[in-house]
Amino acid sequence: MPHKTFFAFILPSLIAMALFIALPIVSVVVQSFHVEHGRILVEVESCQPFGGCTKETRVDTAAMAELKAEQPMGQFNGFGTYLNRGHLAVNEIGAILANNTGFGDIVTRIYNLPFYKALSFTLVFCFVVTPLAMALGFAIALAVNTLPKVTKGPVIFFSLLPMIITPLIGSLILYWMIQPNGIIGATLRHVFNDPTLSLRQSPALTWFSLLFYGVWTNAPFSFVVFYAGLQTVPADTLESAMIDGASRWERIRYIVIPHLAPLATFVALVQLMDNFRVFEPIVGFSAEANATSLSWMIFNDLAGDAQLFGSAGATSVLTIIGVVILLTPVLIRTWREFNHKVV
Amino acid sequence: MSQATLSHKRPLGLTILITAFIVVWVILAAFPFFWTVWGSFKVEPDFFSRESWWNAIFGVYTQRQNDGSAFTGSGYYGAWVTREFWRAVGNTAIVTVSVTVISLTLGTLGGYALARSGQRYAFWILILALVFRAMPHITLVSGYLLPFFQLNIWGVLPTSIIVLVAINQPFTLWMLHSFFLSIPKDLDESAMVDGCSRFEAFRRVIIPVMWPGVVTTGLFSFLLAYNDFAVTSMLLSADNQTMVPKISSFLGSVQEQGNVMFAVAAVVSATVPLFILVLFFQRQIVSGLTAGAVKG
Amino acid sequence: MAQIRLKNVSKRWNNFVGVDNFNLDIADQEFLVLLGPSGCGKTTTMRMIAGLEEITEGEIWIGDRLVNKLEPKDRDISMVFQSYGLYPNMTVYENIRFPLKVRKVPQEQHHERVMAASKMVELDDFLQRRPAALSGGQRQRVALARAIVREPNAFLMDEPLSNLDAKLRVSTRAQIKNLHHTLKRTTIYVTHDQIEAMTLADRVVVMNKGLVQQVGTPMEIYDRPANTFVASFIGSPAMNLIQGSIEGGVFTASGIRIEGLTSVAKGPVTLGFRAEDATLADSNGQIEAPIYTVELLGEATMLSMRVAGELVSIKVGKDYRAEIGDMARVAIPAAACHLFDHSTGARIA
Repeated sequence: MPHKTFFAFILPSLIAMALFIALPIVSVVVQSFHVEHGRILVEVESCQPFGGCTKETRVDTAAMAELKAEQPMGQFNGFGTYLNRGHLAVNEIGAILANNTGFGDIVTRIYNLPFYKALSFTLVFCFVVTPLAMALGFAIALAVNTLPKVTKGPVIFFSLLPMIITPLIGSLILYWMIQPNGIIGATLRHVFNDPTLSLRQSPALTWFSLLFYGVWTNAPFSFVVFYAGLQTVPADTLESAMIDGASRWERIRYIVIPHLAPLATFVALVQLMDNFRVFEPIVGFSAEANATSLSWMIFNDLAGDAQLFGSAGATSVLTIIGVVILLTPVLIRTWREFNHKVV
Repeated sequence: MSQATLSHKRPLGLTILITAFIVVWVILAAFPFFWTVWGSFKVEPDFFSRESWWNAIFGVYTQRQNDGSAFTGSGYYGAWVTREFWRAVGNTAIVTVSVTVISLTLGTLGGYALARSGQRYAFWILILALVFRAMPHITLVSGYLLPFFQLNIWGVLPTSIIVLVAINQPFTLWMLHSFFLSIPKDLDESAMVDGCSRFEAFRRVIIPVMWPGVVTTGLFSFLLAYNDFAVTSMLLSADNQTMVPKISSFLGSVQEQGNVMFAVAAVVSATVPLFILVLFFQRQIVSGLTAGAVKG
Repeated sequence: MAQIRLKNVSKRWNNFVGVDNFNLDIADQEFLVLLGPSGCGKTTTMRMIAGLEEITEGEIWIGDRLVNKLEPKDRDISMVFQSYGLYPNMTVYENIRFPLKVRKVPQEQHHERVMAASKMVELDDFLQRRPAALSGGQRQRVALARAIVREPNAFLMDEPLSNLDAKLRVSTRAQIKNLHHTLKRTTIYVTHDQIEAMTLADRVVVMNKGLVQQVGTPMEIYDRPANTFVASFIGSPAMNLIQGSIEGGVFTASGIRIEGLTSVAKGPVTLGFRAEDATLADSNGQIEAPIYTVELLGEATMLSMRVAGELVSIKVGKDYRAEIGDMARVAIPAAACHLFDHSTGARIA
């Protein structure tokens, strides 16, 4: 296809991506180097008859508005935002490392810094949910594959629901059930005979319920992909393995799993990407006291009354760096493959 | 094939185990929805019962507050009428339909070009799209807000639509690209030799045969727009909110008695279209999920 | 009327060379076959002529027009694709009519011309069907009809028979030859099947790895292959090639000795001869070796023997019988032998 035709076809799409994906990334980077203007204070002297005069410090709203109109992004702050307590917290970490009572203390205190708290939950969510959801999805796929045809359809229908559901709505539905006065929460209280038990109160239980939600909503995707993959396992190979005397488990281990390995890479990649931006369940579960994520931090900065663009920008840039690190192995592999073959 | 011939030899224990596993999974997957649908017709003290969840089944308080009937539509009335959820539904309809149509229009053109160009830059565009696909939406949103305030286009539906279209493009391009690869190149090349320009060949020969792929991709574009929370919650003013941010705003005022039931009713209302979607397009959804995997 | 001229045409993708410096004049009304194994650049060459592939270097002329920058639709050619490229949403009739429609041929001519073209390929009964309801052979004929309906300058055919079964292939081959005779259009035909090339072509271009190996009539290529590649690609079975050395007109290798060859060559060479040029000898044959296998073909018997490390095929009378392991003597007339350079493979004599 000649270059001109190619670009004529793809230009609208490229423009959309350039304006609303590439440019915002630039905008985020620029914002991250700025910080909101400090308050402009004026001293006002108010005198009352017989009362003498008092001096009062006030925020000069007029001047603030003017400044904001001139420099909407705020003032230049360099890497200041990145290094402050809300983000990489360099000084705090230095202090913790310099003065602590052991490894456990270091971990606890670093975890209490907001960025590291968010980062640890995000990473845990990514790397716990993804493999568990894939394993569960694979198990469901194997099981569904043995079902008679009539039951397959309905089972697939119900299996799709947790995935297709709007993340916020899905997490709300589960959250309402696990609340102390919801069906699961109440049952758990009853079972453990502990009237104060609440999945929300303890960080561990909050994490557990978020991870449970993650597996619940991620497993169907793995299931569908693996199920489709199972249909393409060559029957010849399976049959020759049976003739060679492989047991049911050995057939899965030596034929099915290797056959599905490329699919597994794909599923893992997609789910890691999606789980890295985990955010809706934290809103849905109102879990921010015990678990936050990078995306949630950005959301929180922007949603408040005073929108902290600088802070949100810095977290965004750090998140993007995280995504790129996550993608690097894939990109390197693609690059190698591309250099080996001629398109 | 081979599975069917194997099945009669499967030991009984294994069959029971498999059946039990499937039953547990289906309950796990489906029960929360049924429970919430059921509960949405109760009053708050029943659905969120401090005494016993049997109340939610029998509707003890619902009967008390509702002249003996175990079901009430008050949650729905509150959400749809009192809190004007219908407005959000309308906005969602506008946003999802526009996003789907625009995404597909741009995506088919671009995906077709990517599938037919063997050039190195086509490959790089796909890789770039993959990177863009991985960007958390909220990071992009934090890049939009300030410029949109400056340009005074914040808060209105068209802005959200175009943003969602752009966010959707990487995925749409990938999916349609792999779909167009499955349409033989011979087809449009015949048309070009027969006397069409590239665009005519696309219009007369490719468009008539591309609908299965477009429908599948469209479903996923629809889902992305429908399920979005990050973009719509940050970019729409309160008047223009779509369903998902509207539901989240219900939660902001849960203290008020019965308000949480508005949210439950709204959640169920927002789930219904998804149910219908899966019911009718199950095959396309499954094939769409696998298309990327098997080919990509 | 169109002669087609390719001047120093090359196609490269990044570092990969698809076609290297291709030069050829194709005469008006000629039936030219591009022959070679897959990946040899033959299809790329044709696609560059069609305008479906950009030309990296060189010029292509159709008639007196330089077509390098022209779109396929402006080159006035038609093409039959390997998988036919039929429009699945149109009936056979609409498929054949499509080129007329998009080229704005006056409406009133359409029906007559579609009917004429479909009659030529015997498709009259299927005009209202869709491609999905046709057999492979019928689809192939729709593609042919669509190509001829417009009466273009030249026909391009990209392995049009490769998706057909063996029997259909023979009859469609005959049909293509006949069509060419009737329509008298320049035709370029790409194939990897040497029998198609031999039966159809006025001239054959043998290609390998992007390079033209030999251009000539089928008989020239069969009788005087320009190098060992052509020798081993043309003919069924392929020419026997044996490594050995020559000195004073005598070729020797283990189990073989042929006298009376050219005395120009000296040192290591490759000797070639065809299975059908060899005969059985009672005594003092040029080859003496044990039989490796005997294959009965019906009209003849094919012997294989291992000579100088190579399996050599000898075509003998249909009544010949022997056991595996029997010794056989074979005579090869010196005049039937081809000599190729040992290292480059180029023809010496």
